[in-house]
Amino acid sequence: MNESLSHIFVDAFLINNFVLCVFLGMCSFLGLSGKFSTSWRMGVSVMFVITVSSILSFGTNLILVFFHAEYLRLITFIIIIAATVQLTEMFIKKKSPALFRELGIYLPLITTNCAVLAVPLFQTTRGYNLLQSTVFALSASGGYCMAMVLLSLVRERTDLSDVPSLARGTALTLVLASVLSMAFMGFAGMGGGQ
Amino acid sequence: MKDTAPNPFVNGLWRQNPTFVQILGMCPTLAITNSVQNAIAMGLATAFVLTCANGIIAAIRKHVPKQVRIATFIAIIATAVTITDYFVKAISIPVYKALGPFIPLIVANCLVLERAEAFAAKKPVIPSILDGAGMGLGFAFGLTCLGTVREVLGAGTFLGFPLFGPNFEPWVLFLLPPGGFISLAIWLLVFASFRERKEAKERAALVEIQHAEVKP
Amino acid sequence: MKSSVMIRFLGFLSLLCGVLIVGTHLLTQSLIRVNQETILRESLTQLLPGMEKQVVYEVEPSGEIVIAHGQAGGAKRIFAGYDAHGKLVGVVLEASARGYADVISAMYAYAPEKKLITGLIVVEMRETPGLGNKIGSDPEFLANFKALDASHPVGAVKHGTKRNPWEIDAISGATISSRAVGRMLSASIGEMAPVIERHRERIERGN
Repeated sequence: MNESLSHIFVDAFLINNFVLCVFLGMCSFLGLSGKFSTSWRMGVSVMFVITVSSILSFGTNLILVFFHAEYLRLITFIIIIAATVQLTEMFIKKKSPALFRELGIYLPLITTNCAVLAVPLFQTTRGYNLLQSTVFALSASGGYCMAMVLLSLVRERTDLSDVPSLARGTALTLVLASVLSMAFMGFAGMGGGQ
Repeated sequence: MKDTAPNPFVNGLWRQNPTFVQILGMCPTLAITNSVQNAIAMGLATAFVLTCANGIIAAIRKHVPKQVRIATFIAIIATAVTITDYFVKAISIPVYKALGPFIPLIVANCLVLERAEAFAAKKPVIPSILDGAGMGLGFAFGLTCLGTVREVLGAGTFLGFPLFGPNFEPWVLFLLPPGGFISLAIWLLVFASFRERKEAKERAALVEIQHAEVKP
Repeated sequence: MKSSVMIRFLGFLSLLCGVLIVGTHLLTQSLIRVNQETILRESLTQLLPGMEKQVVYEVEPSGEIVIAHGQAGGAKRIFAGYDAHGKLVGVVLEASARGYADVISAMYAYAPEKKLITGLIVVEMRETPGLGNKIGSDPEFLANFKALDASHPVGAVKHGTKRNPWEIDAISGATISSRAVGRMLSASIGEMAPVIERHRERIERGN
C-alpha cells in the first residue's frame, strides 16, 4: 500500500491505537496496568518483541509467498514470536536479573499477547514494505505502551479513592479504559487520511 | 469422587464462565461484539478451537517433553485455528470477512492457552473435550450478552432486525470502542451483584444454622 | 530429557500439524472457491444488469491483457460482461484504499465508451459501524456512482457541495471513508482506463 510513513505512525499510535481502539493486548492491559512501574517495563519489553518479530515476520513472509505456502503463515508467525520472547527473556535475565524477577510470569505471557501477533498479520494484509512494517511495529507497540502507562497512572490515583466495593477491580478498570478510549476518539481524522 | 467434581461442560458455561468470572479472552470480547451475529460466530469459532485443541493436547499429553510444553500447546492451537479459519471461510464468506483478522488472533486468546495448560495437559481426552466445549460455549454466551447490549442500544437492531421504530436514535457510542468497555463493565457489575447477593444469602443461612445449633 | 527424544517428538508434532493443516486446506479448497465465485457472480450481475456471459482478463506487467485462468494471482483483473447477444455491457474493476480503520475494497462498473462509472459495491471494509460503514449501504451515497464522470479526476467533496458529475458527495460524519472511496476510484481509473482503452476492441469482442 502506498501510505506515507508519518500517516502509518500517527494512525497506529493515536487514531487507531491498538489497545483503546482496536482492542488488542486487552488481557495484559486490564491485568497489568495497576502499577506504573510494571506498566512501562512491560510496555518497553512488548515494544522490543513486536519490532523484532515484525522484521523477522516480514522476511519469513517473503519466503512463504515464494513457496505458495501462505497457509503456514499463522503458525510461522507464532513460532517467530515465541522465539523472540525466549530471546528477550534470556537477554533480560543476563542484563538485569532484577528486572527479570520483577516481570516474572508476564514475560513469557507476551507470547499470547494478541497485539504482538496482530502486527505481523496486519502488515502482511496491508502489504507494507520493510520500512513501513518497522514504523508500523514501533508506533503500534508505542501506542500500546503509552495506553498502559496512562491507565496505570489513573489507576494508581483511583486506588486511593472511594470506589464502591462492587466496582473495584476489573469493572473500574474497564470504565477508566472507556474514558481513555473516548478521549482517543478525538484523534479521529488527524492527518487527513493519507 | 467423580460425582463431587464439577461436570467440566457445565463448569465452563456458568461457574467458571470465561468472560464474567475468569475474565479471559478479552480482546475478541470487546472487539467483535458490536453485532450479535458476529459475537455468536466468534464465540462458536473459539469454542471449536478450544474443543479441538483440548482434545489433541489431552491425547498427546503424556508424551510432551517438559521443556517444549508451551511451544507444543501453541503449535497445536495455531493448527486448530488455521483449520477453523478454513472452515469459517468455507461456510460463509461474509461472516469470514466480518470476523476478519480476529480469527487468526484466537491463537493469542489467553483463554485457549489457559485451558490447555490447566486442564487438557492433565486430564484425559473426553473430559478435556467437554471442558473445551463448555468453556467455548460459555465464552460464546458471554460474547452474545455483550453483543446484544451493544447492538440493541447502538443500532436499534437484533441480528439485523430493527426493534424500534424509525424515530429511534441509536446510541452509537455502544458500537464504538468506549461502548465496548462500558458494556463489559456493566455486565461485570451485574454478575458481581448476583454473586454478592448469593454470598450474603449463604452467610445469612450460615448464621441461622449457628444460632440453631447454639440454642439448646 | 535426551535430545533424540525431543527431536523425535518435535518431528512428530510438525508432521501432525502439517497433515492437519494441509488436509483441511485440500478439503475446503473447492468449497471456498465455489463460494467466492458465487459472490463474485452476484456482484457482477448487480453491477452489470443484463449480463449473461463474463470474460475475466488479467493485466500483465507489460500492459498486455490475457484471459485469466484459475484463481486471482495478484494481477489486476478486468471483468467484462456481455449480454445475450454478445454485446459488451460494461467492465467491472477492483479498487482498494486505506480507509479510516483498515483497507476498503470495492468493485465498480465502468462503461469504457462513455468513460462513466455506473455502479459501486463495497466488498470489504472495517469502517466504524453507524458512521463510516454507511458507504456500503447509504442509498444517497451509492447514487453518486450511478453516473460518475471518469473523464475528469474523481474525488469526494464535502457533503452537500457536489456541483460536477465527477464529484462524490461525501457522507456527513464519514468524510474519511468517503474520501477513501474517491481515492481508490481515482487511482484505479488512472491505472486501468488507459489499458482498457488500448485493448478496447479486444474486450468488446471478448477474446
